[in-house]
Amino acid sequence: MAFIPTEYLPFVYVPIILVITWLLARLTSLLIASVMRSSNPQVVLGARRLGALVVWLVGGIAAIQELGISPLIALLFIALFGLAAILGLRPVLENFGSRYFADVYSPFKVGDTIRVGAETGKVIEINAMTTVLLTEADTLVSLPNALFMREVVTNLSPQAWKELTIPLAVPSVVDLPAFESELLKSLTKLRLRLDKRFPPVLTTRARGPQSTDLMLTVMIRRPEERDAILADVHARISDTLGRFTGRASRRANAGESSAAP
Amino acid sequence: MVYPLVRRLTAEGRMRDAHWVSLNPTGPETVRLPGLTLHNVRMRPQRMAGYGRTKEAIWGTIHGLNAPSASAGLFWTDSFSEYAYYNRLTAERIRALDKEEDFDLFYIHDFQQLPVGQMLDTLKPKVFRWHIPFDADTIPEEWAALITSYLDAYDLVIVSTDRYRESLVRFGYKGDVLRFYPYVDPAEYARPTPGEAAATCAKFAIGPEDAFVLVVARMDPAKGQDRALLAFAEVAKNRPHLRLVLVGNGSFSGAKSGLGLSKADRWRERLRGLAEELHIADRVVFTGHVSQAELDGLYERCLFTLLPSTNEGFGLVVVESWLHRRPAIVTIRAGISELIEDGKNGLLFDPESSSDLARQMVRLLDDPAELAARLVRHGRTTARKCSLEEAAQAESLLLERLLEA
Repeated sequence: MAFIPTEYLPFVYVPIILVITWLLARLTSLLIASVMRSSNPQVVLGARRLGALVVWLVGGIAAIQELGISPLIALLFIALFGLAAILGLRPVLENFGSRYFADVYSPFKVGDTIRVGAETGKVIEINAMTTVLLTEADTLVSLPNALFMREVVTNLSPQAWKELTIPLAVPSVVDLPAFESELLKSLTKLRLRLDKRFPPVLTTRARGPQSTDLMLTVMIRRPEERDAILADVHARISDTLGRFTGRASRRANAGESSAAP
Repeated sequence: MVYPLVRRLTAEGRMRDAHWVSLNPTGPETVRLPGLTLHNVRMRPQRMAGYGRTKEAIWGTIHGLNAPSASAGLFWTDSFSEYAYYNRLTAERIRALDKEEDFDLFYIHDFQQLPVGQMLDTLKPKVFRWHIPFDADTIPEEWAALITSYLDAYDLVIVSTDRYRESLVRFGYKGDVLRFYPYVDPAEYARPTPGEAAATCAKFAIGPEDAFVLVVARMDPAKGQDRALLAFAEVAKNRPHLRLVLVGNGSFSGAKSGLGLSKADRWRERLRGLAEELHIADRVVFTGHVSQAELDGLYERCLFTLLPSTNEGFGLVVVESWLHRRPAIVTIRAGISELIEDGKNGLLFDPESSSDLARQMVRLLDDPAELAARLVRHGRTTARKCSLEEAAQAESLLLERLLEA
């Protein structure tokens, strides 16, 4: 670098730091996906995003430092902002976070009849902040999502124990019909463990520009196998999704259009 | 059947800018016709084969042709994942089109596309037309939950007969169920001149002195041509100039350009073998596929027609027979049988008994003038219930109801 004047060196180092950060963020994301392959796909996605965010934070601070700005100022700013957000938006964040975990871990869905505390009713809506029940008296009860993390929730729907509902987000770049077909094929390996009357079904919950939110429903045969089957299904989703995401990335890198079905 | 309806509704201004999505592995991606755009869904041959196997298995089971073991575990096979693939591909295509066109309604036809409703994440009205028989008792218990969940994704299901409607309600479907009879366009049935009819018969070596009974059906075990052969062998003994003409070829599933199966070929060979065994091979004509003009000629010259199916969603060939002024003998296992009063507008028989069919054939052969005239006269009145006119009226009212709602 002897031919570059010293005052211009940061402008060379910063892009290099950013490229390295990008590579490390990708590596971290892949590592997390590999380690957590039997966890819920939504949790894995969250963890991958968090891991990448941490790497980007460190890389960003390194880049800022390279530009001659004290990283302490940036850290202080982030810390104060975070503290203010946590204090000011605590109820909101609590409900929002609970919604995320309820979606992944709570054994109920829209359409089920549940009991939470003194309230019993049919779940007709689960939004970012509340879960809405329709009671037998035809009244609406809106329950903060945070409640579901504190209270005992009883699902009163018949044979609710059988049903595993697993949310998953399929990136828009993935060929959805092919992904679904492969996932169903993979899940047929579990047929002895699942209720033969209810083959796995994927339903679409929402669509965004980046991904399609699906819900996989499988029905188990024995309650004691619930955890093991859940972990296995998670692993199959992660593996299938990983293969398809990798394929889509390779196609994108090669500049190909999507292959014929 | 659907295309003439779309054409009619479009011409009458009751429908506009219709889009039609269907499986066509060899067609171009899009075909534009006046008032209608066709979108062909294409799949690789391996996927087509899996889809075809599942489709045939469902079809055979619903028609009561398959042993229970054939249906066991069908929804857990690799083939079923290809069936799901085709349906998702179709649903995604419809969704993409809806994004551009903002459709008012989705009208899904037949069991091959049954899962599409569940895969289409829309709040717009979704109607499903079930074209094949619906008998809750023939649906394996193992399938009931999945079929129910697929059907429940639709706001309304249309079936072809009152019997299927009752069965669907008994099966547990909670949405609206309507019965619309399948239909033909009477304007499309031309009466050939005697010369044209004679030329067609000559092509199939049917002489002017020969009388014949006509079966118009795809080459498929469910169509019961074997029943027709058995009954024909009984009645033909004392009628040396009587012949049996079997018109029909394979379906899309059996065509080389279609799903590549050979069910029709296998069935035709079996029928030929049976005709040999019954010593009637020289009196049975297999025409294969014929043109519409040739079919008109065969209808014109035949004595009467048979619908010998072991299970038939409806049986529009009976309506065609009436429109050609020919009486029909109809299996009680066809949907259209609920419109037939034995001895008034048709003759009914049990497909499990070839003697029963032979008995009805003899009735017509022995009393051709009076009985045939009565059956045709009343049959033609019944045929109006299965006309494009009636269907367009019913479908328009339905569309208005759904769209106003």
